[in-house]
Amino acid sequence: MPASGAPISVQGLAHAFRSGSGSVSALDGVDLEVPPGGYASLIGASGAGKTTLLAILGGLEPPQRGSVVVGDTDLFGLEGDGLARYRRSTVGFVFQHFGLIGTLSALENVELASILTSLPRRARRARTLALLHAVGLGQRTTHKPGELSGGERQRVAIARALANEPRLILADEPTGNLDEASAQGVIELLEQLHAERGCTILVVTHNRAIAGRASQRIALSQGRIVPASNGPSADWESSGLDRRSDGGRSE
Amino acid sequence: MSFRDAFALALKEVMRRLGRSVLTLMAVALAACLLTALVLISRTAETEVLRQLAKGGPLASIKVAAAAPDPSQLANDNARPGSPRDLGPQAARAIGQLPDVTSVVPVITSRMIFVPGPGAGRSEPPYFYDTAVGADLRDPSLLPISVLAGRLPAPGSLTEVAVTPGYLERLRLDPTQPEKVVGDGLEMGAPRVFDDLEEQTFRALWQRTEIVGVVAQEAAPGGIVTTIEHTRRAQRWSAASDGDTGDLDLSDSPYTGLVVVADGLDRIGKVRRQITDIGYSTSAPENLIASVQRYLNVVEIVLTAIGSIALVIACLGITNALLAAVRERRREIGVLKAIGARDRDVLFVFLIEASLLGALGGVLGSLGGWASASVVGIVVNSYLTAQGLLGVHLGPSWGVLLLGVLGSTLLASVAGAVPALKAARLPAREAVNES
Ligand SMILES: Nc1ncnc2c1ncn2[C@@H]1O[C@H](COP(=O)(O)OP(=O)(O)OP(=O)(O)O)[C@@H](O)[C@H]1O
Ligand SMILES: [Mg+2]
Repeated sequence: MPASGAPISVQGLAHAFRSGSGSVSALDGVDLEVPPGGYASLIGASGAGKTTLLAILGGLEPPQRGSVVVGDTDLFGLEGDGLARYRRSTVGFVFQHFGLIGTLSALENVELASILTSLPRRARRARTLALLHAVGLGQRTTHKPGELSGGERQRVAIARALANEPRLILADEPTGNLDEASAQGVIELLEQLHAERGCTILVVTHNRAIAGRASQRIALSQGRIVPASNGPSADWESSGLDRRSDGGRSE
Repeated sequence: MSFRDAFALALKEVMRRLGRSVLTLMAVALAACLLTALVLISRTAETEVLRQLAKGGPLASIKVAAAAPDPSQLANDNARPGSPRDLGPQAARAIGQLPDVTSVVPVITSRMIFVPGPGAGRSEPPYFYDTAVGADLRDPSLLPISVLAGRLPAPGSLTEVAVTPGYLERLRLDPTQPEKVVGDGLEMGAPRVFDDLEEQTFRALWQRTEIVGVVAQEAAPGGIVTTIEHTRRAQRWSAASDGDTGDLDLSDSPYTGLVVVADGLDRIGKVRRQITDIGYSTSAPENLIASVQRYLNVVEIVLTAIGSIALVIACLGITNALLAAVRERRREIGVLKAIGARDRDVLFVFLIEASLLGALGGVLGSLGGWASASVVGIVVNSYLTAQGLLGVHLGPSWGVLLLGVLGSTLLASVAGAVPALKAARLPAREAVNES
């Protein structure tokens, strides 16, 4: 399915969280363009706003200011069932914590995503099995998350993210809980699926090697896009970590 | 999300927290058990008490005496009759044609001499006077008669009689074993007084009979129950007496009384007024039954309220357990939403989970309640029969069982509404929050 990926277009996105004392600014005027079928990585220090950006793009968090368009969907003003439909059919989310339901088998976890659609039972099952095969878990369908390794769990989660043929895959530190070998495997799987299916991918990572594999590298610092150095050896991390100097520069 | 899928998810969640689910379930089951048992027992108590009051006969029965009504006694259950007045087939037919009257059964009583045959008991002296109550026994269900042991005499029989517990007492027999007297012989004599010269003499028309049953009866005052054919013959024999027959209570009336059954308890008053208009004195336990019914209704309301309160408390347990589950599963609920579940899908799963616990608890509890009520019934039964009274019948009341199951399911889903709404309103953002 080439060219089915959804382009991302973000302009002047600002987002603040209200907390007890006042409000915490998480995103502060973010502009971002990812072409259809693009492969982008998003890096930045802890608290830079990466998860917030992903949550807004994924329809988990309604945007507050600016404009966010994914594919032909303007996320502004989308709420309730409309937002749920967007999450269901346009986006596939992959979490650092896998987000699998402990009581369900691998098969049931993947099937859960298509249960929410009106796909007939039989077609649902066939697609689920095909997906589990595609992520290399064709033999582990009946295992519960507790009986799978971290890498295997993330593969199940990726299969689930793909269940409704999304046009955009958002992965929030998908390798954050994995050892190096599993991380490598998971990233390669994502890249393979990206190549095969042509969906747009945005991966948040703290791993500079992984970030460097993407064709488009985005760096966030204190809620703003900062120039990302190219290549895996770039010293982006210090600029992200040094929040005070970074914040001073951006103001 | 289809119901089937939501149900499967809810079931998985129940199984995940099996320990907590079982505890919650048991609370609901116990409460539903209490509720059904209390309702069953109070319902049974109501019907049984009324049945005892009506001596097993129809509740809506009215006794008509061969006497004119006393106008001052109309509102009285046991009205004092006015002056004697003949009561015959014609009057019986007129009463039978009244609206709201189901049936009319004539009764003839007759004073007779009884000599118990060789059998279990002994009376001092070896003979006694009593009143034989003869009724048309073709349909005993229309009469306020209940069989404690044996059976009723066959309709039309002149050789079969039934005795009442008073007979057992007179013969100093054990009232808890009425069946022992069944099969004994009893000589019954209809007396006739002859005014021979200066002396009055008795001659009796003797009939050898067999006791075929022991009954409690309210059809007319008297200790022996037999067929109307038997008492009619006795009445005719005695009626030919001459001289002083004061002791024999002789009357020219073809029937001593009628047992009239009205279409319902609420019609008794109307039917009694109409019979009064025809010109006969009536009595019926209508006021007694009505006030007993009122008291029993209050008891039922109180017991149902107690059971319902228990059920509400148990369902609060469901609220509690589900609130804890929502708190523990914030992230999972977020993930569910992140992959596209609508608010109402989440709501649905939690509501199903709550009603599943309620329904299961309701089924177990209702069956348990029925079982407990049956045990209580057996205990009460053995007590009542030991007292020489009618036993109780505790049949399965499907209505009450259904009430238990539906009630707990409904209450449980109401109880689950708060956590379900809470879960449904959780922001999808929970999926990516640290926890
Ligand atoms: N629900 C919330 N309420 C209040 N503040 C929040 C909330 N979520 C995030 N924040 C704040 O918003 C800012 C950005 O958070 P975000 O989770 O997007 O960072 P991140 O880049 O994903 O960090 P990490 O690498 O640690 O995951 C942080 O300062 C955080 O404290
Ligand atoms: Mg984050």
